Amino acid sequence: MNKQSITQYYRKHRKAIVTATSGLLYGGGWGLGYLTSFEMASTAILVLATIVGGYDIAKTAYHEVSNRTLGIKTLVTLAAIGAIVIGEYWEAAAVVFLFSLGSYLEGRTMRKTRTALQELLEMTPDTATVRRDGEVQEVPAREVEEGEVVIVKPGGKIPIDGEVVDGESAVNQAPVTGESAPVHKADGDEVYAGTVNQEGALEIRTTGAGADTTLERIIRRVEKAQEAQSPTESLIDRFAKYYTPAVIVLAIGAYAVTQNAILSLTLLVIGCPGALVIGPPVSIVSAIGNAARSGVLMKGGEHLERAGKIDLVAFDKTGTLTKGETTVADVEGFGVAGDEVLSLAATAEKKSEHHLADAIVDAARERPTAATDGGATVAQADDTDAGRQSIPDPDDFDVVAGKGVIAHTDAHEVVVGNRALLDDRDIDVPSQVADYVREREERGETVVHVVRDGDIIGAIALRDELREAAPGVVAALQDAGIETVMLTGDNERTAAAVAEEVGIDEYRAELLPEDKQSVIEAYQADGHVVAMVGDGINDAPSLATADVGIAMGAAGTDTAIETADMALMADDLERIPYAVKLSKATRWNVLENVGLAVLTVTVLLAGVLTSYVTLASGMLVHEASVLLVILNGMRLLRY
Amino acid sequence: MSDTTQFRVLDFDCPTCASTVERALSNVDGVQHVEVHYATGRVEIEYDDSAVDPDAFAQTIESQGYTPQPA
Repeated sequence: MNKQSITQYYRKHRKAIVTATSGLLYGGGWGLGYLTSFEMASTAILVLATIVGGYDIAKTAYHEVSNRTLGIKTLVTLAAIGAIVIGEYWEAAAVVFLFSLGSYLEGRTMRKTRTALQELLEMTPDTATVRRDGEVQEVPAREVEEGEVVIVKPGGKIPIDGEVVDGESAVNQAPVTGESAPVHKADGDEVYAGTVNQEGALEIRTTGAGADTTLERIIRRVEKAQEAQSPTESLIDRFAKYYTPAVIVLAIGAYAVTQNAILSLTLLVIGCPGALVIGPPVSIVSAIGNAARSGVLMKGGEHLERAGKIDLVAFDKTGTLTKGETTVADVEGFGVAGDEVLSLAATAEKKSEHHLADAIVDAARERPTAATDGGATVAQADDTDAGRQSIPDPDDFDVVAGKGVIAHTDAHEVVVGNRALLDDRDIDVPSQVADYVREREERGETVVHVVRDGDIIGAIALRDELREAAPGVVAALQDAGIETVMLTGDNERTAAAVAEEVGIDEYRAELLPEDKQSVIEAYQADGHVVAMVGDGINDAPSLATADVGIAMGAAGTDTAIETADMALMADDLERIPYAVKLSKATRWNVLENVGLAVLTVTVLLAGVLTSYVTLASGMLVHEASVLLVILNGMRLLRY
Repeated sequence: MSDTTQFRVLDFDCPTCASTVERALSNVDGVQHVEVHYATGRVEIEYDDSAVDPDAFAQTIESQGYTPQPA
């Protein structure tokens, strides 16, 4: 080992070496004094142990004082100097050694928490293989430009966000979305930087590189979240500012009254607010780090602490409890053919952006025979897809929010909508139609009526498949003592059928977006702490109103990452019980840490006043309590 | 012109270490705003780039006995 590497080794392990040397000197000095009569030598070694162990502490204390902050190191330095002045050399050496050992172990433990974020940062590869000017080149990942094609071999990490343009593979998206199973990717599918291509080679057209990738956005969010203090943290920070000077005043006061220097110095040491101040941030940073690795983005300590109090979870139905992929389950014509009903509805709905309209238009396009209108074959001019039917444009078109559409085509007025729209327009519903609608709604389907020139000519039943995980998630929340509610724009019967299938406690049907917000406000007024789960776009008002807004499927969507209090990166409902339970565990963890810290100081204080606690034993217990709260907080990293 | 820079300090022992560094940095001429966080070891400095060379920040952190790392 040459001189340079020895210096490097010393620098890297300085704290451990200093602590070990101080400990050895302390042990040697104590042993010499206890076993032999070489008192002078023992004293000299104990003073040396204090100087070796205390130099760094005193140096920082000097900076603390010159920067007008008073911290634990100032207290320890005062205590050590005081002990030497009154001839308690053993106590002085013990205090600095124990403090040094405690802070070395604490530093090692804290580093593990701090590196949780570093692990995320290291997910993205530094270089990317791109095709430029017909040549394949290796370039820094940050320099890849939007639109360039990146090649990723099997087993390789994807360096950019993009869309697959060639190849097929299974991609492990765990670093971004937390999903444990690989996801199949083919032409047109979105892939994220930091995920791992497992099977075949992929060619990906870049949509975002460098700082403009989903993973980078997540990292930035997590960093911000870790900095955002929870109410408990802010309270303790404010408290700590006054606490340390108060301890010094108390120690001086105790000396003035009792003239007992040891008592006064012991008060200085045990009065340090270490465990109290360290506990809450460690718990919260650990929880946020853990959540990020599992694909759940927590927006900060404040939200995390509030989420720990949730007692009611409201779910949006479409796209949250259901897959959000509505399909036509059945078409019934009343006096006309089903095909004609579907074709007419598709024309009326063609310009609508509602998900039910999409399902109707898609179903009409996929019909095996040409769509007809009054016997005439509809021209197929506007559709280019081979084998798909064309849908003509309506002459005009109006949306009635939450109710349906009214359109004109070929001199006919066509109304496609729910019962409320029919009632608004005084359209009679024959019993045959009403029976059909009831029967389909009892199966959990949504039915729209198709009306031509004031007469109902048919009805279309639409179905949105439930997510397989939904009943399990609802049951898991109920087991954790949390009430569950489903909010939907669907009518009563459909809502009841879906609610029964999912096993949800309560449902609220026929709600417009603003009604969902009022429902949440009503629950809050009843004293509930409400979490709202939605897809982050349509549900923005209710997500914002709820105590904790949880957005699903946030990967790739900036809005959801930015606006929700909590974002599930994947469309994975099963993360909700995990996120809620983690928040509750974090809240308890913070309370445990605060409780432990307060208990330690109280017991030590009682011990000092009854002379059971010495300077060294006080320091030992104090350091042990600091380590204990850190280790307790770190349990959340593996929750 | 106002600019920002960041460091990470992984050898804080206690929250007061973070406040000490925060105070030392805020005393550097040209520094407009400093935030130092104990739990994450993150140091964020907003400064006037015509009044101070950002190299001074790493030196200030070192002078307080801690090791700055680029964030």
